[in-house]
Amino acid sequence: MQQRKDVESQITDDTTPDDRQRFMKTLSETDALFTEWQEWQSTKELLDETHAMLRDPDSSMRAMAEEEYTTLNDKLSTALQTTFPKLLVPASDDTSKLSAYVELKAGVGGSEASLFVDDLMRMYLRLSQSMQWDATVVSASEIDGGGFRDAMLEVRGTNVYDSLRWETGVHRVQRVPATETKGRTHTSTVTVMVMPIPEDEASAESSNELYSLSDVRIEVMRSRGAGGQHVNKTESAVRLTHIPTGITVSMQDERSQHQNRRRAFRILQARLLDRKLTQDVIDRRDARRDLVKSADRSEKIRTYNYAQNRVTDHRLGLSVKNITAVMEGEALKDILDGLVKHHEASVLESVLAEA
Amino acid sequence: MPRILPTELFALLSKHVGQDSAGMELRWLRAAARDPHHLQSLVSRRTSGEPLQYILGTQPFGPLELLTRRPVLIPRPETEHWTLRLAELIHPSSQDPISLLDLCTGSGCIPLLLCHLWPPGSVQAVGADISSDAIQLAVENAHRCGIHVSTFHSLLRATDSNGNTFTPLLADIRSLDFAQSSALRSPFHLITSNPPYITHEDYAKLSPSVKAYEDPRALLGDPQPTPYGKGLTFYHDIAKLAAREGFLARNGVVAVEVGIGQAEDVQRIFQEEGRLRETEIWRDPWEVQRVVIGRR
Ligand SMILES: C[S@@+](CC[C@H](N)C(=O)[O-])C[C@H]1O[C@@H](n2cnc3c(N)ncnc32)[C@H](O)[C@@H]1O
Repeated sequence: MQQRKDVESQITDDTTPDDRQRFMKTLSETDALFTEWQEWQSTKELLDETHAMLRDPDSSMRAMAEEEYTTLNDKLSTALQTTFPKLLVPASDDTSKLSAYVELKAGVGGSEASLFVDDLMRMYLRLSQSMQWDATVVSASEIDGGGFRDAMLEVRGTNVYDSLRWETGVHRVQRVPATETKGRTHTSTVTVMVMPIPEDEASAESSNELYSLSDVRIEVMRSRGAGGQHVNKTESAVRLTHIPTGITVSMQDERSQHQNRRRAFRILQARLLDRKLTQDVIDRRDARRDLVKSADRSEKIRTYNYAQNRVTDHRLGLSVKNITAVMEGEALKDILDGLVKHHEASVLESVLAEA
Repeated sequence: MPRILPTELFALLSKHVGQDSAGMELRWLRAAARDPHHLQSLVSRRTSGEPLQYILGTQPFGPLELLTRRPVLIPRPETEHWTLRLAELIHPSSQDPISLLDLCTGSGCIPLLLCHLWPPGSVQAVGADISSDAIQLAVENAHRCGIHVSTFHSLLRATDSNGNTFTPLLADIRSLDFAQSSALRSPFHLITSNPPYITHEDYAKLSPSVKAYEDPRALLGDPQPTPYGKGLTFYHDIAKLAAREGFLARNGVVAVEVGIGQAEDVQRIFQEEGRLRETEIWRDPWEVQRVVIGRR
């Protein structure tokens, strides 16, 4: 709202047409919100007045007031739960069209963690199928004895990034490994990172909004000895380092360097966009001193407890008493919906705290 | 969806190609296999030493996917790298088309990639090779990549066809009358080559995957065995061709791949025998001196 007042006060007769256009755009983006906000405030005032009337000595007055109070209250909570959250995401941050990469990395717990990478990967593949998203395994490093050290999925479709972004964080599994003779439960972890795929992917191998090509070091991995005609073994692994941030991307799943390089650049681009979006949230939070939590990559966000057949999402404080339903995708959808609402609610809370 | 590996296949492959590559190779072989039985036979071909690229039948080369077939040399990543770099160094256009000669063309990888990357109508390429297996494969590759195959080479045709063209030429580039071959219309603006460069001494030590499957003629740098040969025979021949009056255009460029440790010798051969005033050495992604560039 403050932004709106600022913008309004900046439009004067001597603003240039360009600026004027920019201001108008900001105003129209916040227009609907402004109307809703005025509506909310007047409803709130009415509610306060009605509240006073609840103690009216006249019983018929009290009855009328009670009825009125309930109606107003309902109206306010609808505004809080549905109207505002929809309006509060600024159009410029619209990520609803973005697809995503989902990276899974085995954390603590050795081979159990690797097996869990496999389980989570299947979980996301099934979810994608039921959401009619197009999911492919971009890379996966299998390890002897089953499972994967790490894996990367590419998931394409509408709303993919918005739905999956809160999956970023540490997923913990508690179960008895097949190899455990004493029946002890082990705890292992897998780190998930969800990255938005920029709309302009074609620019990945040139300098673009997110990085300059001169800041990217390109290295080949492993030695080829004499190389050239002497060696016909496939050696196509490539590693990129974005020097300013230290972010590295390694890719070896494609059969040529050219293809791996291309893939790696696309992933680097997604990683940097992810970083930018996260930074935007932090900046906005600092600007507003709000309560929105930035996605903390090291936070334990969910526990899958096989012995108790229970999945607990720690941010929602929600437990689903059916692991299979989550792993098959259906119950995961509910959790994802909950997380999206949870995020919207915390954005709203911060705006209200500021008002 | 990747499924858990049959551990034996993985172990077998690991023994042959190392743990790191085994996972990848198994993935690619699995994608090529019709069924588990077929997969098993592909894996056993691999463990008996057959190059992966012959088993799969293709190899990506830049954005192209080329056919690979025994005994024609499998295109190497080093060659892919410098060809892509060369494509960015020279900018032919349909208004200003160039004529390209690739000596020892093998699968045709170098001229086909350049024809693919440069604008339509900007390049007329000839690929010469002594092996009919190679010439046959190069023609198939041109068709596969949608590049027009023409039996006659002439720069005039560039303007009336709206694509780039590739002319295969079965010939011995070392023979005395090669330069006068009726299929060649000099001058050439660009001569490229990845000629055989391995010494007899090194050849004896090559891995069986190379020695037993790829044509020795594609690898041996000194066709007449000489005990102390440095594998440089073809560079002398290429330099002599470049030095011929009217063969290389003014401001023309010669780009050749070299083996490890040969770059400086080849640079000298270019200067002394090729009448190439300016020379330059490029490194490959593994930091080995890999290409010598000469300019008229
Ligand atoms: C190292 S391979 C290069 C193939 C391809 N240019 C590449 O980079 O993958 C060398 C090629 O030279 C051919 N060759 C060998 N001696 C030749 C000669 N005297 N004249 C023409 N080609 C010859 C071989 O048949 C082989 O295809």
